[in-house]
Amino acid sequence: MSEPVMRRTQTGHVARLLTPVFSVHSPLAKALSLCSVLSILAFGAVPVSAQTTSDTANYSIESAKAVHSLLLDVALAGKRLVAVGDRGHILYSDDQGANWTQAKVPTRQLLTAVYFVDAQHGWAVGHDAQILATSDAGETWTQQFSDLEREEGAPFLDVWFKDRNTGFVVGAYGALFTTEDGGQTWEDVSDRLDSEDGYHLNAIVGVEGSGLYAVGELGGMFRSADWGLTWETIQGPYEGSLFGAVATGEPGGLLVYGLRGHLFRSSDFGDTWEQIEIQTPGNGPLEFGLADGNLLANGTIVVVGHGGTVLSSTDKGQTFSLDNRSDRISLAGVTATDNGNLILVGQGGVHLASLSGADLGQQ
Amino acid sequence: MSKHQQQPASFLERLIFNNRPAVILLCLLISVFLFYQASQVRPQTSFEKMIPLGHPYIQKMLEHRNDLANLGNTVRISVEAVEGDIFTKEYMETLRQISDEAFYISGVDRSGLKSLWSPSVRWTEVTEEGFAGGEVIPQTYDGSAESLEELRNNVLKSGQVGRLVANNFKSSIVDIPLLEAYPDPNDQGTLIPLDYQQFSHQLEEKIREKYQAQNPNVKVHIIGFAKKVGDLIDGLIGVALFFAVAIGITFVLLLWFTHCVKSTLAVLVATLIAVGWQLGMLNVLGFGLDPYSMLVPFLVFAIGISHGVQKINGIAMASGDAPDALAAARMAFRQLFIPGLVALLSDAVGFVTLLLIDIGVIRELAIGASVGVAVIILTNLILLPVIISYIGISQKAVKISREEAAREHPFWRFLSKCAHPMVAPISVVVAVVALAGGVWYGQNLKIGDLDQGAPELHPDSRYNLDNDFVIRNYSTSSDVLVIMVKTATEGCSTYPTLSAMDELMWRMENTEGVQSTISMVTVSKQVIKGMNEGNLKWETLSRNQDVLNNSIARADGLYNADCSVAPVLVFLNDHKAETLERTVAVAEAFAKEHNREGLEFVLAAGNAGIEAATNEVIAASETTMLIAVYAAVSIMCLLTFRSLAATLCVILPLVLTSVLGNALMAFMGIGVKVATLPVIALGVGIGVDYGIYIYSRLETYLRQGLSLQDAYYETLKSTGKAVLFTGVCLAIGVATWIFSAIKFQADMGLMLTFMFLWNMIGAIWLLPALARFLINPEKLRAKG
Repeated sequence: MSEPVMRRTQTGHVARLLTPVFSVHSPLAKALSLCSVLSILAFGAVPVSAQTTSDTANYSIESAKAVHSLLLDVALAGKRLVAVGDRGHILYSDDQGANWTQAKVPTRQLLTAVYFVDAQHGWAVGHDAQILATSDAGETWTQQFSDLEREEGAPFLDVWFKDRNTGFVVGAYGALFTTEDGGQTWEDVSDRLDSEDGYHLNAIVGVEGSGLYAVGELGGMFRSADWGLTWETIQGPYEGSLFGAVATGEPGGLLVYGLRGHLFRSSDFGDTWEQIEIQTPGNGPLEFGLADGNLLANGTIVVVGHGGTVLSSTDKGQTFSLDNRSDRISLAGVTATDNGNLILVGQGGVHLASLSGADLGQQ
Repeated sequence: MSKHQQQPASFLERLIFNNRPAVILLCLLISVFLFYQASQVRPQTSFEKMIPLGHPYIQKMLEHRNDLANLGNTVRISVEAVEGDIFTKEYMETLRQISDEAFYISGVDRSGLKSLWSPSVRWTEVTEEGFAGGEVIPQTYDGSAESLEELRNNVLKSGQVGRLVANNFKSSIVDIPLLEAYPDPNDQGTLIPLDYQQFSHQLEEKIREKYQAQNPNVKVHIIGFAKKVGDLIDGLIGVALFFAVAIGITFVLLLWFTHCVKSTLAVLVATLIAVGWQLGMLNVLGFGLDPYSMLVPFLVFAIGISHGVQKINGIAMASGDAPDALAAARMAFRQLFIPGLVALLSDAVGFVTLLLIDIGVIRELAIGASVGVAVIILTNLILLPVIISYIGISQKAVKISREEAAREHPFWRFLSKCAHPMVAPISVVVAVVALAGGVWYGQNLKIGDLDQGAPELHPDSRYNLDNDFVIRNYSTSSDVLVIMVKTATEGCSTYPTLSAMDELMWRMENTEGVQSTISMVTVSKQVIKGMNEGNLKWETLSRNQDVLNNSIARADGLYNADCSVAPVLVFLNDHKAETLERTVAVAEAFAKEHNREGLEFVLAAGNAGIEAATNEVIAASETTMLIAVYAAVSIMCLLTFRSLAATLCVILPLVLTSVLGNALMAFMGIGVKVATLPVIALGVGIGVDYGIYIYSRLETYLRQGLSLQDAYYETLKSTGKAVLFTGVCLAIGVATWIFSAIKFQADMGLMLTFMFLWNMIGAIWLLPALARFLINPEKLRAKG
């Protein structure tokens, strides 16, 4: 027996008065949106970039428990590992995940994603519509943006930067923000997407030689061949929510994944999709949601999710091997160290694992 | 004291001995009434009497008792599969029968009963359509391999691992909330209060014994307040058996001491009458017998016997000079009534200082013991000589007593060397060294309960083993500190409140000794995550009030009816005093920083909160009580002897015993707690008796012109045996407690035995040594 209960609870956000009348990819719209950029630059730049919350003074608390509490994403800044998570915790490790140091972070809100464009420069996003930046490889962070008015501080959910200047942030209720100046000013460009219902955008990824791809709630897919200026809506292969996307490293090669073990692969930048079935040993298809994935330096693709799920593929995502960790914890992020071990983050903080996902014990 | 001994018959003596039939008749009438009352005394443990009601934590806790209602009274039955795991047909069938059986036990809040078989235990998962869910044990369950596999998957999805199902899948829990009072099955209109003892017995018979016999592959573990109280009351009744043992041992000793069956029986009967009267008075005063006041009958018995012995000793010695039993009894009464009265009054004064401690059970113990001592004045100082005046003492006993008085005693001669000018300085040096050592080691003494699990019971008691089993296999701890968060009505679910609670929880979790915390924030975050398709990126508080309101809808019991009080539960590693102090201090500091209009963090509830408050009261009372009890006995001594030097001779050995007692407690890992605090006052109050008996004799002989050592020899010869006997009597009365099933009674027994014996040793060994330095026999003689 099964009983649908509810699917969305946040109320009052759906009616979007700002929905553009014109299709986003029309030239007119481009011109209009350019105007809006100009107007924001002219009048809005100061207020937008100056937006700070009253929590500014509240730095995250240094805690020995931070490394074992909820962490949502992990990235490499050169050789350094940087992980973000609950209560404004940002941790970094210079010894392949054995020891972690807590960075100075001007927030206590849950941080959802982190991205480094080079060994020094990175951004983290999170709740209260926050964007934080670092220029010292994650040791100290400053707040670039926060907006408590926007959907009552609904979270940003992913961040991607093309270079030190140009980057994009996606988030709840269809948020798409961009910067051209390394985050000095952030512009709300949500209306570049044709997303009337304002469903959450869960992830954004750059695809080798093709452009940007964003996925979200209810199977929503958007792509931009011009690296973020114009976007088109893609009719995806799946009705359920997609939580993440990862480029396979080949031109146009891309994997998206989401609820209940659903994983899809495209080699033509999302024009066509094939579902990759994941079978559990002796118990039918994988039913755990998949949250995050990463293309490792050695070309292996790893995707992690609920129920301790660790999927890895050495053939650009055509087939995957599955490991469900015995602790069955929910995982939210993955990367790898030089020595080929996986750094998994999620419930219970950082977990060091072999490439197959087996636990190596925590430091 | 000696002054009184040669007085002619007082008014009191004439009143008693001229109306002997009336005295006996009166005592008989009182006995009929009070023994009837005593038969009405019931064992009881009242939770409120064991806690310091005056402490602000407790007052706040009681104030919010109704808001915290469902935190408390549940019993949890953990059913363990000895071989394999819980996913077998047989195990699930036994589990079903156990939950059904528990459902029908009176006092169970049936709507709240939870096990894997309850329809309210569900699994949920997020699907494309939203949440999907169902009962963990589906309607189609038939015990087949497939349905067991389905069950295993449902359990994994239910989030019950660590709660209803053990982390290792080898046991699961039946969670049974209780009603403090339940409707009478025969008459729905009346409420029957839950009888913990009966309930606990039903759990044993109907659940543990029945199903362990029926399915040898299951082991049943039962924990919860009701079970613990049930076990306590059982232990309390077990202690009654010790009373019989104490009577038996005392009888043998008395016979050896008096060489006379008649007087042995007379002493025993008079003393048992005292015990009966004391119990009767308890009922008249409206008290029951709790595990603490259970000590009082033992004390009354021991004190009664020791005074009875003094009386018999006196009558036996007087029999030599008296024409008949009546005259001997009158003579002994004349000699011993006043010293006995002084000794008993100083006991009572020692007990009364216990009233300073703001904890119900200790106060009742103080009142009960004072009443008991008063009763002994009537039974053993008045009734006993009257009885003896009728029945007399056997000629053999009188003869032995006369011979004893005449012959040389090598043992006493040897002991009298304690007063020798060469030995005395050594004794004093040894005492000072022991005192210093005791003070140094006594610094390790801790406040509060130090053992794991339920501190009332032994660490290896079945309850504590069960408790340990549950703690090891489930994500839970039995030591909970509850901080109450107070807001305006309907204010508990606002973002500022919840985020402040969240901050408090994180602060507490980062405090050493804290395992985890739970509050409505925990539930809110989980539900918000669930509402967002299980995405971890949403596992935090929302600033949207509608979302928050939705998210706490299922957090029953974590906020009150009008959403104005919400508890934060802090689970601790243990209930050691340092852990409690540290966590309470962190919470207090947080409250101080964050309390503002409409948002208040209030301490404290939960067993750890109560223990923290109790520890504070105990720590504060300890010094006050010590000062009071020593001041009281010092004043009694000063009044009796009218000499500072004599007072020091009597009091200083007691100080040594108190200090060594503290060191012993530190060594044995016994903390200062509700049970052991009274021991100090009891030990000093009763211990002073020895000093008073010995010193008053010693003084008499010194006045007669004997040297200190000779005077001490004579003292020992006449009362040494009685003092030794008294010490052993008192020690035996309480020593049986060491075997009590209730841990704190065992601790009390051990400490009291030590105090009684050491006080006696101190009086015999150290008192004469001190007298060597402090007392000037010349001056005494001049004064006398």
